[in-house]
Amino acid sequence: MIYDCLIIGGGISGLTCGIRCSAAGLNCAILSSGMSSLHFSSGSIDLMGYDGDHRVVYEPFEYLESFIASHPRHPYAKCGTSGIRDALFFFRDQLSAEDLELYNNEEKNHFHVSALGTLKPTYFSQRSVFNEKVRLAFQKRSKIAVLNFSGYRDFHPALAISNLRKNRFFSDIEIVTGNILFPDYGSIEKNPFEFRSIDIARIFDTEKFLEDIAGQIRREAQDAEFASLPAFIGINNYKRHHQLLQQLTGLLIYEIPTLPPSILGMRIDNALKSRFAALGGVYIAGDTVTGGAIENGMITHITTKNNGASPVRASQYVLATGSFFSGGLISDAGGMREPIFNLKADFDAERRQWHSPSLFAPKGHPFLEYGVATDESLHPVTQDGDTVKNLYCTGALLSGCNPVREGCGGGSAVATGYHAAEIILTHTGKKHDKA
Amino acid sequence: MNRIETDVIVIGGGATGAGTLRDLSLRGIRAVLIEKNDIASGTTGRNHGLLHSGTRYAVNDLESARECISENRILKKIARHCIEDTGGLFVTLPEDDPSYHSKLIEHCKYAGIPCEEISVSEALRIEPNLNASALAALRVPDGTIDPFRLTAANILDAQEHGAKIFTHSYVTEILKEGTSVTGVRCFSTDSRDTFEIYAPMIVNAAGVWGQRLCELAGIELKMFPSKGSMVIIDYRINNVVVNRCRIPSDGDIIVPGDTVSLIGTTSRKIPYDRIDELTVDEDEIETLLENGEKLIPNVSKTRVLRAYSGVRPLIAVSGQLDGRDISRGIVLIDHERRDGLSGLVTIAGGKLMTYRLMAKMATDLVCKKLGVRKKCATHRLPLPGSEQKIFSSRRVQKFTGIPNSIVGSTFYRHGERVSQILSSDRRNYGLVCECEMVTEGEIEYALKNLNVKNLVDLRRRTRIGMGPCQGGLCAYRAAGLFPRYNAASSVESNRMLKDFLEERWKGIKPILWGDALRETEFIYWIYEGLFGLGDINFSDMEGEEHA
Amino acid sequence: MIKLENISFDHCIKCTVCTIYCPVARATHHFPGPKQSGPDTERLRIKNPNLLDESLKYCTNCKRCEIACPSNVKIADIIQSSKWKYFKKRFRLRDYFLARTDLMGSAATLVSPIVNFFTGLYPVKLALDIFFKIPSKRTFPKYAQGTFRRWYKKQHTAQTAYKRRVVYFHGCYVNYNNHQLGKDVIRVLNAMNIGVILPKEKCCGVPLIANGYITKARKNARYNIASLRGELEMESGEKIVTASSSCAFALKYEYPNLIELDNSAIFNDLEYITRYIYTRFEQGDIPAMKPIPMRVAYHSPCHLERMGGVPYTIEVLKKIPGLDLHILHSECCGIAGTYGFKKEYYNVSQKIGDELFGRIERVQPDYVISDCETCKWQIEMSTPYKVLHPVTVLAMSLAQH
Repeated sequence: MIYDCLIIGGGISGLTCGIRCSAAGLNCAILSSGMSSLHFSSGSIDLMGYDGDHRVVYEPFEYLESFIASHPRHPYAKCGTSGIRDALFFFRDQLSAEDLELYNNEEKNHFHVSALGTLKPTYFSQRSVFNEKVRLAFQKRSKIAVLNFSGYRDFHPALAISNLRKNRFFSDIEIVTGNILFPDYGSIEKNPFEFRSIDIARIFDTEKFLEDIAGQIRREAQDAEFASLPAFIGINNYKRHHQLLQQLTGLLIYEIPTLPPSILGMRIDNALKSRFAALGGVYIAGDTVTGGAIENGMITHITTKNNGASPVRASQYVLATGSFFSGGLISDAGGMREPIFNLKADFDAERRQWHSPSLFAPKGHPFLEYGVATDESLHPVTQDGDTVKNLYCTGALLSGCNPVREGCGGGSAVATGYHAAEIILTHTGKKHDKA
Repeated sequence: MNRIETDVIVIGGGATGAGTLRDLSLRGIRAVLIEKNDIASGTTGRNHGLLHSGTRYAVNDLESARECISENRILKKIARHCIEDTGGLFVTLPEDDPSYHSKLIEHCKYAGIPCEEISVSEALRIEPNLNASALAALRVPDGTIDPFRLTAANILDAQEHGAKIFTHSYVTEILKEGTSVTGVRCFSTDSRDTFEIYAPMIVNAAGVWGQRLCELAGIELKMFPSKGSMVIIDYRINNVVVNRCRIPSDGDIIVPGDTVSLIGTTSRKIPYDRIDELTVDEDEIETLLENGEKLIPNVSKTRVLRAYSGVRPLIAVSGQLDGRDISRGIVLIDHERRDGLSGLVTIAGGKLMTYRLMAKMATDLVCKKLGVRKKCATHRLPLPGSEQKIFSSRRVQKFTGIPNSIVGSTFYRHGERVSQILSSDRRNYGLVCECEMVTEGEIEYALKNLNVKNLVDLRRRTRIGMGPCQGGLCAYRAAGLFPRYNAASSVESNRMLKDFLEERWKGIKPILWGDALRETEFIYWIYEGLFGLGDINFSDMEGEEHA
Repeated sequence: MIKLENISFDHCIKCTVCTIYCPVARATHHFPGPKQSGPDTERLRIKNPNLLDESLKYCTNCKRCEIACPSNVKIADIIQSSKWKYFKKRFRLRDYFLARTDLMGSAATLVSPIVNFFTGLYPVKLALDIFFKIPSKRTFPKYAQGTFRRWYKKQHTAQTAYKRRVVYFHGCYVNYNNHQLGKDVIRVLNAMNIGVILPKEKCCGVPLIANGYITKARKNARYNIASLRGELEMESGEKIVTASSSCAFALKYEYPNLIELDNSAIFNDLEYITRYIYTRFEQGDIPAMKPIPMRVAYHSPCHLERMGGVPYTIEVLKKIPGLDLHILHSECCGIAGTYGFKKEYYNVSQKIGDELFGRIERVQPDYVISDCETCKWQIEMSTPYKVLHPVTVLAMSLAQH
């Protein structure tokens, strides 16, 4: 098949890029080797959460202006503040077209509560996680109930509450906890591996027990005004369940992301894939790109496991293969490399420099910043120093960004994916066609 | 201040200390054990877990070889659930001196070790993953031993016979009256209490740390610590212990240990003041992997899970400092005779294999001093859990409705005690650790019966966090169970979660590449990115002085 | 003792993604999911084969876990091979016959009207249920009269006359049950000026593998690889094609990955038919087609998904004028070859398919389209809709007869 644009990597960055390109009318395909890291993400999109001294950033866009100036090698620097803004709102609109609404506090970051009761600064959250009403309820110092389901192993309210209580913001807020029992719990739980978030989300999706659960929530929440549940109130119909639960209980209900699999992330993944398909994109899952040929600074074709010797061709290629976890970068005892095109990657030659002495060192770990180096237009460079002109690198694959420490993983993936698409569209003369 | 009176104080919760505590208790002597950290957290838990046949020592140290084969036979009877009778091979590779092979056979004869010469094809049948280019092979009765289980079972039996144990408590002072030792003053890092224990006899079973203990008593005992490093491979790449048939050197053994395999070991002298901060050097890892691959080629294709070091306690008997008087065998010191200080006995040297013998020697001496005439029975009384024959599929099937993988794994860890762990309560077999099949019931059992103070202790009793993901999912799940079973407060649980992941990290960091790096990225993403564990401020809690 | 060769489980980083996409785990709590059944417990089975869990028999080998896995772990392969590596061999007449589609086929086609009559009778079904543990609710595929190969004999000379030819691995289903599909393949390819040559072939081995007859599967596989390689060497055709997605999957992937046979001699020249047709279409080799105004719902079979073949089928279908094509969300239909024919799995099998059946119902198509014969049986049994093969739809749209 010959595509206008072939994207290698079907995560948040590749999908954002694919949606933008397809929306402009390009014939676009995404090749994905395994599901993306959205499946264990928070389901919120972090833009810029922390500064260099690990202090919380409240006004991310304002902060980005100076950050970009002082960090020219950061992926954000290639997109520019207005590019980042366009990307984020494009992303929000695309999800909204799939009926997945994101909340943002105008220009500011907001905080979502983690399963350990810490507050994580983020820019977009799903409305079942954070919204205006939740913000107001916090401000009113309303009583909170942190609830769990019996048999669910991946959330422990006691741990979360002990940390919330330590937080000065919550010092005068009363927090209670309670347990909800699935109505036919005995017959549901049949094997010892049961009750991952996904199992419970599926039970929610059947809508069988909503009323019973609502009754229990009301009782367990005592007289709290709002209650949190682990993030599993449905995959497909969560919006409806969320509303129903709020109606039936008369409480504000919000979700807390827990151990993987992340239902919140799955919702985004589903929405993006569905959007991409609706715009005519082809998503090919479960294939692995085995190599690519570069001639005169241009990729001529790539080969994949499933296609064997027969080449797959496109005029533009995007590499959004992620970091080590997703296989975008590969390391061994001797070094690191980008496995498909053997692009030039930034990393420290000495292995002991890859990490910090302690796991939770305040400055994080250098290996998270390693990746492929690109020019302003996201073009990478081969080992011989030649720029590859029809290849764009995006997302976690890029060097110069520490997604966890800076709190910018989602934002930089979306921004660079979108930025790559914009450049491709300029090249192909389709810049102004928007769906 | 709390004051406890007893007959004997045992200092050190390694295999030797635990064995001594058990031996004393079985002879009806009241005893209390003090351990500064957790049981089996020192040298005992930091070796390759080989159930020696003695073959390795046959050429250079006949006495050790004889001790090994004799203890080997005893342990196979009394510690069934702690050992695996895998058998062992000594293989000669093309680059090895072929004469060592016949020399070894000859010396095994002197030591009384049944050592059988087999063809290479027979060796490959026994261990199909062996390097096929091996030239010669010997079959010996090596096996594997789990030091955590062994120590925990000894402690459990001692406790069931009336002994007391204080972990996470260290001796701050040795109390003396004239030339007699009368007791110890201790500090608990767990409850942060100071307490005193009085007894007519103290057994110093603190291993390499015994030098410090002697300093507290005002006497000198010189240790010559030597560091041994090992790497752990993600899964069991061999089912038989594989030794290199050559003069003992670095990286000449691969031991299957439960679900993993270990490549051992290096040997490097270290200064005494470094014994609490061992690090694995990059070149040690290289040597181990290089040599490991020669024995079993799959090593090069497999994920390295961790690397760690232990410290061997070599001891200078007469207190001379030039090191010529270093003993590698068992050393029993009656300090009354050596230093004129009555009431103190040191048992040191030796190896994990000879822990029971060492415990017997120390207990015999204590008994003589206390005038107790009861004989040692540890060579015939099985440890709790080891009463019956080992794991079999028939025994597993008794637990209908619970998957074999769970019953079997629990059986491996706790032997017959499995029936106390997997009850009909469904909650009891909900999985917490999915790599090593640790259930909530097992954790509850460990919290209630096995002296667990934190997640790291729990790991030594159950293998949580010891599988491929090194605690990815189970650390959080297990941390949440501490408050549920009133084993710790929520605040403490949060801190032990962080400490646990940091403890795992120490072993991962030296081998951070390939899948281990991917795994780390994943875990870091969850615990820092998703949970913000690193952001939690624990400074409002009192810091531990001897963390 | 085990020789460790497939060690892909070592790459599993316990991310749990596969548990989301397993259709069996969704349908039944008796199956603990691919992560537990595959990489997690494989480490234990290597330690001691007695740690084997009965529950892994529930795996349908649909391979959706492998598509989901970001670490390239051959999860389904691990589970499949565990089934025959560790479970004690117990002979079961039912499994023996279910596994031998070619043996059953060659016998049944001789007296197909009688066989079809009897397998349709309720008392017979009941007897099968009681004695063979084949669920009485299950509808049996009908056998054809005679074999496809016999029919083809007369066509052979005409087919060799084409300059461009392909070798067509027809599989048991076409040979014994559905001659029409084979004829459609020939008709469509002939309309594109491509001749069709039949190679000597044996059952690809899918049902044998599923029922643990590995030695027999290997024997068939060796035969097929040699035969197909021979055809390529003789230049009987430029490619080997097959219109059965499961045969294609077995020939291409199960041979090297699961039963560990080298198929590199045929790997690159072996294609599922729509992909071959698509490539020809791209070269401008499009037959004259007339519009067929039908509302159709396309269901992509698991094994075609795993091979990455689905986009080609969709692209080919898109070329058919007038076709109102609805792509169904990719789900497992639940039958998984012979799995749904076993009483102990029947309910699970149907429950897996429920999601898909509901989606088909909502589209209300004239026909369902699917590449796989067993998906066809499952959908035709569980919904009121008839299922067509994409090539059959192509044949329907051919302008001239």
